[in-house]
Amino acid sequence: MDLFFETRQQGVILTWDILINDINNSTTYNPYCKSDSYYETFKNIITSMLIGEKIILLDSDFTDSELINLTEHSNFSSYTQEIDKKSFPLIQNKRELISNLRETSKNWKITLFTSGTTGIPKKVTHNYDSITRFVKISDRNSDNIWGFAYNPTHMAGIQVFYQAVLNGNTIIKLFGLTPNEIYREIKENNITHISATPTFYRLLLPCDESFQSVRRITSGGEKFNKKTIHQLQDVFPEAKITNVYATTETGTLFASNNDIFSIKPEYKNLIRTENDELLIHNSLIGNTNTNINEWYNTGDLIEIITEDPLRFKFISRKSDMINVGGYKVNPLEVEEAILTIPEIKNVRVFPKSNSVLGNIICCEVVCVNEEISESSIRIFLQSKIQEFKIPRIIKFVDELSTTRTGKIKRT
Amino acid sequence: MELKILDIINTVLNNRGKTNLSSIRPEMHLRNDIGMDSLDLAELTVRIEAEYDIDIFEDGLINTVGEILEKLKNN
Repeated sequence: MDLFFETRQQGVILTWDILINDINNSTTYNPYCKSDSYYETFKNIITSMLIGEKIILLDSDFTDSELINLTEHSNFSSYTQEIDKKSFPLIQNKRELISNLRETSKNWKITLFTSGTTGIPKKVTHNYDSITRFVKISDRNSDNIWGFAYNPTHMAGIQVFYQAVLNGNTIIKLFGLTPNEIYREIKENNITHISATPTFYRLLLPCDESFQSVRRITSGGEKFNKKTIHQLQDVFPEAKITNVYATTETGTLFASNNDIFSIKPEYKNLIRTENDELLIHNSLIGNTNTNINEWYNTGDLIEIITEDPLRFKFISRKSDMINVGGYKVNPLEVEEAILTIPEIKNVRVFPKSNSVLGNIICCEVVCVNEEISESSIRIFLQSKIQEFKIPRIIKFVDELSTTRTGKIKRT
Repeated sequence: MELKILDIINTVLNNRGKTNLSSIRPEMHLRNDIGMDSLDLAELTVRIEAEYDIDIFEDGLINTVGEILEKLKNN
């Protein structure tokens, strides 16, 4: 059986033949993709590529108000279109499917949303070449079995998806499983590759067993500490552990097997630093709805180890973005959502460092009366913003703490 | 102390609309049995720290209710 995708939670086991059959039988297509089902999301991406139509990926937990902010709509049913079956011949087998995908039209575009630095998430659009720039296709990769530990609508998940699909691999969903279930999936499916955030790996540890099938562990999105790397090496003794640097704007850019990154010679003139901030040339960037100058400011502060060849370490973020287990949270966006509650006069959202997630979102609120409770604020926010952005600790105060210049204090 | 921990666990579960527990036992696994995810565990550490001034996850992950109680008793 040539497995394409498995998710134990829903008891779904799907082969490449089922995927091909589903694609051949689909008669309609909607460019807005917002689904709880990983398989539906994967299938929609593949269909969009085959018919050369754009696709816009939306997190399944985006609330209606987030959707309206991002796309100006919350109901996308009117965008459903018929697929012209004449210009979309039936796919015979996996090899043909993959070769068609590799020849995706230059006009095809995929859009995703970053966490954004100004309050509203930013739209980023890539074409086939830019989204697959770091995919490695080779016979050596043809038997890989991927543990899928990301949201399929985020850049990291998309990178894993392309690496797996263009090599004809199997994808096993690990996202949302308990540690015991994850270990069972690794063992029963002989998973060879896992790409996930450091938080995901930290939650798997400690573990007394070791798993020989895993050959590659990739991580990114947060700093990976040495202790976790050592513990992981014990659990996955055959695995090469790699740290990657990727952004929604650029996709994967650098990889490293410790915390020091180097760049490929061909990028030598496309990467530079200014006031310790990493800048990337606009030729490496997808299209965004904001104007980017020749150089894009990543907001990541680095420490240079050697100038030539350039080798560096990531130190921290320049902006106020809060990293919660690899997900970036913009405090301004959260504050804006909280301020729509009429009883709340003022709010300050700030991170508190946390041994599980790196950071946890907290807030202080000033209320006009005492009737509002912590849980009622949370319930309200559930319809406004995604779960990981909702403050976990809400403090009621008479006035907000401010810095000496009168600005609201972030940390 | 067990009642206080039960109370804290229930606050965390309640905040995410998850079912409250009527009692806790030392062998209960926080993720596998109680169904906490990483966001819940993070909140749990902060709430326990606010009450006892101890970061239970400081030296690596805690898996069971018993390990939390142990850690708090030893401090």
